[in-house]
Amino acid sequence: MNSIAFNVALPLLTAFLLPIISSSSKPAARFIGPFVLFAMLGFALVYFNTLQHPVAIALGGFLPPLGISFHLDSLSLLMASIIPLMMLLLWPYANKQGYREESLLLLLAGGASGLVLSGDLFNIYVFFELISVASFGLAAANRSAAAFAATFRYLVISGLGTVLALTGIGLIYTQTGTLNLAHIGLLASQLDNPIGLSAFALIVIGIGVKAEIFPVNGWVPEVYSAASPRISALLAGLISKLAVLVIIRLLVVAYQGSDAYIILLVLGILGIIWGELSAWRSKDLKRMFAYSSIGQLGMVLVAFSIPGDAGMVAGIAMMLHHLVVKPGLFMLTEKWNGPISKLGGAAKSSPLAAILFVFFALSLIGVPPLPGFWAKLLLVIGLIQASSPLYLTALAVLLTATVIETHYLMKTAIKIYSKGKKKQVKKWQQTSFNLSVISVFALIMLAVVFTLTPLANKLNHIAAESSDRVLYINTTLSASQPPLSQPLSQQMGKVQ
Amino acid sequence: MNTLDALLLISLLTALASGLGQGHRLIGWITALLFSLQFVAIMVMGSLGYGGAVVEASISLSIFGHPVSWRFDGLSWFFALITIGAALASSIFAAGSWAEDYRKHGGKPGLLQFAIALNVFTMLLLLASGDLLTLFIGWELASWSSLLLMMVAGGKAKNFALRYIVYATGGAMAVLAGLGIIFQLTGSFAYADLAAIAPSLSTLQIVSLSILFVFGFGIKLGLMPFHLWQADAYAETPGPGAAFLGAISSRMALFAIAVVLVQLIGLVKLINIEIPFTFLSFRDLLLWVAALTIIFTTFTALRQNDARRLLAWHGIGQGGYMLIGILLLDPLGSAGGLMHIFNYATYQAALFLAVSAVIYRTKTADLNQLGGLVTRMPLTFLVMLIGIIGLAGIPPMNGFVSKWLIYRSLIVEGMPLLFIATVIGTLGTILSVYKLIHNTFLGQLRLEHEQIREVPWSMLLPMLVLSTVVFVTGFMPGLVLDWVVAAQAALGIPQVAHHLGGIESAHGSLDMIWISGVLFSGFGIGALLFYSGNKTKHVHQLDNYAGGHFLTADTRYHYTNNFYAGLMHYIGSWYRNSFQWLESSLVSVVSLLSGFTQILFHSFHPALFLLITATLSLYFFAG
Repeated sequence: MNSIAFNVALPLLTAFLLPIISSSSKPAARFIGPFVLFAMLGFALVYFNTLQHPVAIALGGFLPPLGISFHLDSLSLLMASIIPLMMLLLWPYANKQGYREESLLLLLAGGASGLVLSGDLFNIYVFFELISVASFGLAAANRSAAAFAATFRYLVISGLGTVLALTGIGLIYTQTGTLNLAHIGLLASQLDNPIGLSAFALIVIGIGVKAEIFPVNGWVPEVYSAASPRISALLAGLISKLAVLVIIRLLVVAYQGSDAYIILLVLGILGIIWGELSAWRSKDLKRMFAYSSIGQLGMVLVAFSIPGDAGMVAGIAMMLHHLVVKPGLFMLTEKWNGPISKLGGAAKSSPLAAILFVFFALSLIGVPPLPGFWAKLLLVIGLIQASSPLYLTALAVLLTATVIETHYLMKTAIKIYSKGKKKQVKKWQQTSFNLSVISVFALIMLAVVFTLTPLANKLNHIAAESSDRVLYINTTLSASQPPLSQPLSQQMGKVQ
Repeated sequence: MNTLDALLLISLLTALASGLGQGHRLIGWITALLFSLQFVAIMVMGSLGYGGAVVEASISLSIFGHPVSWRFDGLSWFFALITIGAALASSIFAAGSWAEDYRKHGGKPGLLQFAIALNVFTMLLLLASGDLLTLFIGWELASWSSLLLMMVAGGKAKNFALRYIVYATGGAMAVLAGLGIIFQLTGSFAYADLAAIAPSLSTLQIVSLSILFVFGFGIKLGLMPFHLWQADAYAETPGPGAAFLGAISSRMALFAIAVVLVQLIGLVKLINIEIPFTFLSFRDLLLWVAALTIIFTTFTALRQNDARRLLAWHGIGQGGYMLIGILLLDPLGSAGGLMHIFNYATYQAALFLAVSAVIYRTKTADLNQLGGLVTRMPLTFLVMLIGIIGLAGIPPMNGFVSKWLIYRSLIVEGMPLLFIATVIGTLGTILSVYKLIHNTFLGQLRLEHEQIREVPWSMLLPMLVLSTVVFVTGFMPGLVLDWVVAAQAALGIPQVAHHLGGIESAHGSLDMIWISGVLFSGFGIGALLFYSGNKTKHVHQLDNYAGGHFLTADTRYHYTNNFYAGLMHYIGSWYRNSFQWLESSLVSVVSLLSGFTQILFHSFHPALFLLITATLSLYFFAG
């Protein structure tokens, strides 16, 4: 079971070795990155398929709550498989000279895998920092002035966010005396007070910088429009979800049934309003996707703020959907950049890309039977079941936002399908490599449509498992550390 | 595989074939052939139209634990018959010479056929829905395929189509919210479960569900105040496509309303819900919305100078009659509402095709640029004449029968004000259809139209068949009433007593065979008198005079500009474009808000927001 640690160690090691490998053999340096990612994917998938019930692993022999622990359940393993898969899809295969970007991507892969697998807050914090550093480098990787400026902005706010998150973690430590998530969960009753909830708020806001949570997402439009599309795809698709994952882990384990849900809900609603309205007004395709991504993340947050399994299912569905759709859309901006009003003729020069755009847009809007519809349906049902005025407000906002979304996405589609100037038409031609990557995203979605029933069962299983707080606590504490079982069972009575 | 499977399969095949073979020259005829196969399939299922047993599709799935299934009952069959019939007529019209002409002018006839085929397939899926989830899926699919059909023309049409889809999505979201509420109440999407809990729903639940569903679905119908999108979007669709859309597309809303509100929730309760501080029940409110839709849109139609827009605006108003009929719930009214869907589809398709035929020859639909075409296109004139008599609801055409049923029911149910409202609507219809036929076919022929001939047979055939249907079902309404009764039975409404000639009821009977007999014998006597008199003298159209003065060939004696000047003098000030204003102010509000959100993103450093949010949330938890 310990071999899953390779998913963290291997990419990190390769990332640091890459400069050395590159100096001795350029082809080897180009080759090794994808190879490592394939290996990670293989490991993660094997675990994902064989895992019957959640498992905790104590690394280095120190048992929790003292040592470093990994928590393997179907959600973390699913994310751990998605990370290398996304990296493989968005890997800079065409890059022939440098190794910087490859190095940073591997760093990101290692950090991200560590983040999703970690079972204690301190490690999560460390891996989160690792991801941040890698993403700063990646955002500025195309070395344009705009990218540097945007990245600086990103860096400042990210740094401030980190300080807040660290304060929050510190507060939790003062209240519970532990940073192991399961242990925190055991002592959750000590966090249901102003200090504990403040800690949660600080962590949400701090980590939320990466999760594009309103209103700490001011960097999003700048960075996504300045960075290269692959990186925007990665940041919007993957990194934001990692941050969300941290928040929901904390929510499920330590704050179930508390006021913490409200702050997520409110921030989510505001995020939807802000993101969708700004997207509606934006004149630039990249910025439009960036704002729309803020809105979508708002929906994800709203979904997770619904208590119980219903919220977890809807949230994971929304999250996975956005994770596939948004990278596909961002990849289209590789060639289709600049003002939307000048996109005329784009469909003529790359018909397939135009069809893919419409396909993604329809799923984003939630047209049945595309995956986005099912995610939205789950969300609507969840919100109505929660049935308090605030949740119904969220529902109204969600539905109105969909109308706005329809307008700006279809407006763009119409522009793409309209006639353009001859000179520009050449410019809109997508490269065939890029098109095939985007098609993979579309094929994933088509596959989802055709395997809906088994996937829905799997999703329900994942959601049930990851929203089960007692299971999380038991997995880490009672399974790996029999000595603690005596006081544990006493305390468990209280938590249950 | 049963007949429903076969029907859906052929329909899917039609869409696939026309989609893949878009560029082929013969694709129009192939699509038309496949449509006629669908027509055969629906005929094979004919027993459904006479109270036959429900046909279940063999495929059924389970998604997220919700079982989904498809089936056909009398109501579905009735709508499907109209859908496929309209598609077949449009497809034949668009297959031959029309397609060549359209292609020559840069159009894509193959895409048009594909769009119609896709619409039919998705509509059949909707009509076959066996639970609320498939109903919504079918609804959305049909909505989005209509978008494709509206976009075929390109250019300006795309903007109208965009407006449509924004309205349609708004409606769909309202429906989705309604479905969510139902799911919360019943724990499933099954029809039976909703019907089971319907009696125990509270007043608030019934009212909110009714509002969500009537307006959510009603947006497709162009129900006020959501009527602005329809006329432009339909009118800009290429002729045969507009005929199909106008005939049946927006009626899907009635199907959905009938299934969800009438069949499952049971409208009866709405009658007992009083609106506070008024003397209206909640159903009266809906009836009045429908009545106002009739009046406003019909009189908007009166002002149109584009033949296609005139017809399209009427389409919205006629939907109001159907909704009133269905909401009335008594045997007479609901039969009238349902029958009006069939009748309206037949003459609206015929009229749109006739206008398309005129456009085909003259390249314009501007009512101020036409006139006197009766001598050049007599058969098209005949089609339009029959069509407008139907649309105006005058005997002996079928439109009279359904409107008579609705009027009758309004009077019997004691709603004289609504009756007057619908009659005012009909008055507007008569005025505007007269304008249509006068400005197109009557009066003097314009110089540039001297050389025009009748349209080819491929276009005439569907028009003439449709007109025949308009006439025959007006002469023998019992043919359609059989199907209507089967649909009523499927909905669980008391059924109307009828015979081949019309209605047998204690509150007044109608026998169209007798009425038509009297009418035509009157015509016969007139014709006898006419032909037994002196020999007629043919006068050249320019050989006329006004005020005692002969007119030269340069002064045309055919007034089309400012057609109802006298009437407009009295009612002109009532046209205020209030709804346009409402719509644009809504857009302005969204624009203003979004400007504000962007300013917030741009003008302040994100760190400031970080600080503010952190402070606020700390205050929320700890303060």
